[in-house]
Amino acid sequence: MTTIDCRGQACPAPVIATKKALETSPDGVCVLVDDGPPRENVTRFARTRGLTITETANASGWSLQITGSVSLPTSPVAPAQPVDGERLLLITSDRLGEGADELGRLLMRNFLHTLLETAQRPDRILFLNSGVLLTVQGAETLEALTALAAAGIDLASCGVCLDFYQQKDQLAVGRVTNMFSTAEQLLSAALVIRL
Amino acid sequence: MSDHYLVREGHCLAVFNSTHRALKAEGILKGMGLPILLIPAPRALATDCGLALRFEDEHLSAILQILRSRDLQPAYVSCLRDGQYNRYQEHFDDNH
Repeated sequence: MTTIDCRGQACPAPVIATKKALETSPDGVCVLVDDGPPRENVTRFARTRGLTITETANASGWSLQITGSVSLPTSPVAPAQPVDGERLLLITSDRLGEGADELGRLLMRNFLHTLLETAQRPDRILFLNSGVLLTVQGAETLEALTALAAAGIDLASCGVCLDFYQQKDQLAVGRVTNMFSTAEQLLSAALVIRL
Repeated sequence: MSDHYLVREGHCLAVFNSTHRALKAEGILKGMGLPILLIPAPRALATDCGLALRFEDEHLSAILQILRSRDLQPAYVSCLRDGQYNRYQEHFDDNH
């Protein structure tokens, strides 16, 4: 039985390490974890997959013996297929989701920063309404958007919107676009994701 | 190796396990003109809330001093050197 030492690791690292170890160790694994969320999460992970788990406390944490074969839950939806055609991201606000404005702005920043790390990126990002505030001087998202532009993603900000927010001369990344182009691109894209 | 385009050699990340504390720390440090950026914590740095303040390591001591004085210590700080994240200090307190 393989032993993995996940002591000192915060979630979700112990669960990910456990899952990986189980995939290559048919005899099961012994996971050393700290008490609290790491132990609870690994235990929950094992139980929800129908695995047998034996927990033993020791001086430096917990030893979890997990046996059985990993059965991944089947997804109710088909896995994402590559889209044949242009993928367009439509950003109509400087905030992501409904709720506190501060949180919405943070989530939008996080989303754009995370896009840099994703394997599947959009071909084009259109910024409308307060979404244009993400592309102007002083925006916290400039570094990420500049890197995305350098990676070949077309960034286009609505000119009417920049003008409305008195930011027309402050555009710092991408280009200005108009509603004709915006409408055409929305209607011809293979996939449009609106944030 | 770094898995994060926004983190380069010499960058340090103050990782928080509380969104409110991360936002508060960001506001204070930005208000003082320090060059920081609040980013999603890289996958290599497992964290509960997933936020990190990024800055150059030359600002490390000043930033930690300010955060300590405001009782806004991060969960931990890691700096990227030679492609590896090195933890600067294990724990600052239990209330990060």
